[in-house]
Amino acid sequence: MRLAKFVKFREEKFGAVLFETQSEKVFTLNPTATAIVREIQAGGDEHAIAARLKDRFDDHDGAIAREVVDFISELRRRGLLEG
Amino acid sequence: MTRLATHTTAEAQDLAAPLYVAWQITNECNLACLHCIEESGPGKAFADELDTAQVFAVLDQLLDCEVPYLSFSGGEPMLHPQFFEMVEYVCARGAQLKIETNGHYLSVENCARLKALSVKAVQVSLDGATGLTFNRMRVRGEFDRTTDGLRNLRIAGVPIEINFSPARFNMHEIGAVVDLAYELGAYSFYTGRTMYTGNAVKAWRHLELSDEQYEGFFDVLRAKTEEYRGRMRVYFHEAGLLEELRYRLQHPAALLIVLPNGLVKLINALPFVCGDFRRQSLDEIWASFRRAWRDPRVADFVEELASDPGKTKTLHQWVFL
Repeated sequence: MRLAKFVKFREEKFGAVLFETQSEKVFTLNPTATAIVREIQAGGDEHAIAARLKDRFDDHDGAIAREVVDFISELRRRGLLEG
Repeated sequence: MTRLATHTTAEAQDLAAPLYVAWQITNECNLACLHCIEESGPGKAFADELDTAQVFAVLDQLLDCEVPYLSFSGGEPMLHPQFFEMVEYVCARGAQLKIETNGHYLSVENCARLKALSVKAVQVSLDGATGLTFNRMRVRGEFDRTTDGLRNLRIAGVPIEINFSPARFNMHEIGAVVDLAYELGAYSFYTGRTMYTGNAVKAWRHLELSDEQYEGFFDVLRAKTEEYRGRMRVYFHEAGLLEELRYRLQHPAALLIVLPNGLVKLINALPFVCGDFRRQSLDEIWASFRRAWRDPRVADFVEELASDPGKTKTLHQWVFL
């Protein structure tokens, strides 16, 4: 799993932006979404990413894992992820 | 909750650097198009265009600041003596690059080179479905050479975009041009209203379309959008310049327009210059760009366009903010 070929990621003070350069659409990311994209770039599937973030954010009720799954699904739906 | 916020263009105020830099790398051109907003043409290179060291110093700044997307246009960008070195430099540093060309230098070898360098896309201007209309708009241009260039791009596997500028004498071909763009392998087709500025001021009687003609033009495009849905994207901007600029005043895009001499324009359709890469860093220019959109002279100029649309002919009389 990786960002699609025409998607660029840049971190900003508020989080980050994803820029899909074929449609020239820009998506702004909050800090949680930014952390997920950073982990996507580091490699691994949804479960590995969720596990890493769960440890980092001391997630006890599984909220982070659900957010990871939902967010990755949204990225796929918008064609921003491949693989 | 983690959610994506979507914008058709990013707004500049909250970003650390531009997201898109449109660089007119030379004003020299092999053609002298009737509608050219840059007044480019043979022998029209600016006397003070950036030299090689300056060009690469600007590129270094843009790439160090992670500008994700650049375009090279002109003039004819492929006439720039360092064109391929610049393309290679940008692509090797991971930014995405679009080339906007008239298509006359898209030889088999050049297309293979662009493919090997992984340019994001090559946008070719195709202002007619026949030599008759194309060659009339693109003075000194050759329709067959452009379509041969497009075929070379397709064979090389370079993503193709097509741009069309409407005029009184070519608008009837719009449907055929969209069909031709698809046949030549384009994934996107762009058009809008031709602007009354640059060379177009002198040729306006040949170019100007009435509101009714534009209505028919956009009707065809709406039908073509549906016809090619899922196969080729057909983009067209129905909004007039005034409407677009009023929107931009409220929502400036994170886009810098860089001229061949390093000056930075606020937006192509306004005369304001807000930076100079020969004297300022990207950080300084970016700060100046964001301030400039709030300068009352900019809003005043836009509102004056409402009563005097012909003011666009002064866009080349640069106003330094």
